[in-house]
Amino acid sequence: MKLHCLGLEGTAHSFGAGVVSSDGIVLSNVWDMLSPKEGGIHPREASQHHSNLGPDIIKKALDESGIEAEQIGLIAFSQGPGLGPCLRTTATMARTLSLKLGVPLVGVNHCVAHIEIGILESKFNDPVTVYVSGGNTQVIAFAGGRYRTFGETLDIAIGNMLDSFGRHVGMRFPSGPIVEKEADKGGVYHQLPYSVKGMDLSYSGLLTAAKRLHSEGVQIKDICYSIQETAFGMLAEVAERAIAHTKKKELLLTGGVARNKRLSDILAGVAERHNAKFHRVSPPLAGDQGAMIAWTGIVQYNSGDTLDISNSQVRPKWRTDEQDISWR
Amino acid sequence: MSDETILALGAESKIVRITRLDQPFVLKIRPKKSYLLPEIDNLLRSSRTVRECKTLTIARTLGIPTPTIHSVDLQSYTIMMDYIEGQTLKDVLKKAGKDEIRKLCFRFGQIIALLHKGDVVHGDPTSSNVIVGNDSKLWMIDFGLAEFNATVEMKGVDLHLIRRAFETTHWDNQEIMLSATIEGYRDVLGSKADLVLKRMEEIRERGRYH
Repeated sequence: MKLHCLGLEGTAHSFGAGVVSSDGIVLSNVWDMLSPKEGGIHPREASQHHSNLGPDIIKKALDESGIEAEQIGLIAFSQGPGLGPCLRTTATMARTLSLKLGVPLVGVNHCVAHIEIGILESKFNDPVTVYVSGGNTQVIAFAGGRYRTFGETLDIAIGNMLDSFGRHVGMRFPSGPIVEKEADKGGVYHQLPYSVKGMDLSYSGLLTAAKRLHSEGVQIKDICYSIQETAFGMLAEVAERAIAHTKKKELLLTGGVARNKRLSDILAGVAERHNAKFHRVSPPLAGDQGAMIAWTGIVQYNSGDTLDISNSQVRPKWRTDEQDISWR
Repeated sequence: MSDETILALGAESKIVRITRLDQPFVLKIRPKKSYLLPEIDNLLRSSRTVRECKTLTIARTLGIPTPTIHSVDLQSYTIMMDYIEGQTLKDVLKKAGKDEIRKLCFRFGQIIALLHKGDVVHGDPTSSNVIVGNDSKLWMIDFGLAEFNATVEMKGVDLHLIRRAFETTHWDNQEIMLSATIEGYRDVLGSKADLVLKRMEEIRERGRYH
């Protein structure tokens, strides 16, 4: 008997709902991202975005999946980590659906979901995962029953760095794709701080130096080119350290910034050097969306992991390595 | 002539054991990375080779056992140094009993503190970068990411990286390893350790999602 899971994602600026079946087919995946005209993301505004649009997005996800609400056997939601107000709004919708439909509830770790959907798509067994987005920059691998963070940013996430630079020079949010287009036109390298510490890295110095280049009149396309080459080079190095350290033979790139072609090319080069397979998660499954939550919900449910409503409070600071990975 | 054995293929270097005049030596070679922009690649290879040489020597003057350098080739980014007979701390810790773990980590903490006392940070202080000699003496290696004139922040990051390495590689015994390391660190620095230890905690809490 096939199980259908409705997954809700709402940890930050995106709200998404997706329906996935227990044989790993994504039947629908609908989301909307808060995109302010200027400035960044305010947690309260983001949570209002989720509560305003959530119900319609859920309805659309059900309609597109061709599955009746009564056929949904499981509700999964992003329990953390993320922005408190956003998590709470999403959790409320998930609890309501679970009670209304009389089906079990599963709380999913957002970072774990990014990895699991990537593993489903790539058919990898045991990859080193580079997870890059607006709020996260992590190199994660499975070891001793947990997904462990081998390296991460010590200050700002790579997506955040790209957005902050973009905002500084007048680009709209999210700036990552605009920076990529500009970088394609550039070609003059200006040195920027390259800061790798062990398997961790730091982007705040790079951001400050890039802003300085702008004030010195360097063309935006060349700054974007230099930012990408430096920031992605750092990421490649920590990924390579993780591969060398763990001796794993698969490299997975996921998260919103995985959409960047140059980053993908650089990491493919890392994998090649170590005779590892490489997969970049396809754009619809790379960013924050409900299908990854639904799929991970199924995986967790099958290993006996469900939540009582009374224990379903959100976990804004939920570390990736705090989740027991009982299914591996 | 000489026999050559590849000891390790790391992320940024190849470690080769060679024999010259009946003595074993190590070549540390930093090969080209074709996926990096050549400007960045060349800069990293040369700056890290130079930095490694300098720090190996400075660390020794601070009282930390490090291999002696015999020659440097900045054309091929290669360092020739002593071969240290022994195993990595990583391998030793995996087999050691709790008392042995405490003793080794205490000494590891002392070594890191001696570096920090001289305002030097290692930059990649994992258990793979410490060699336990056959006489149980600890040797520190791999100084390519080291930095001088270190601030409290940089020292805090160094300690944070040690904790991270215990978490990812020695999860079963991470608590006793960390506490023994901190004990050793305090043993050398006394109350001066507090500021750095506090910073280590702050760094861990800093990331929004950890």
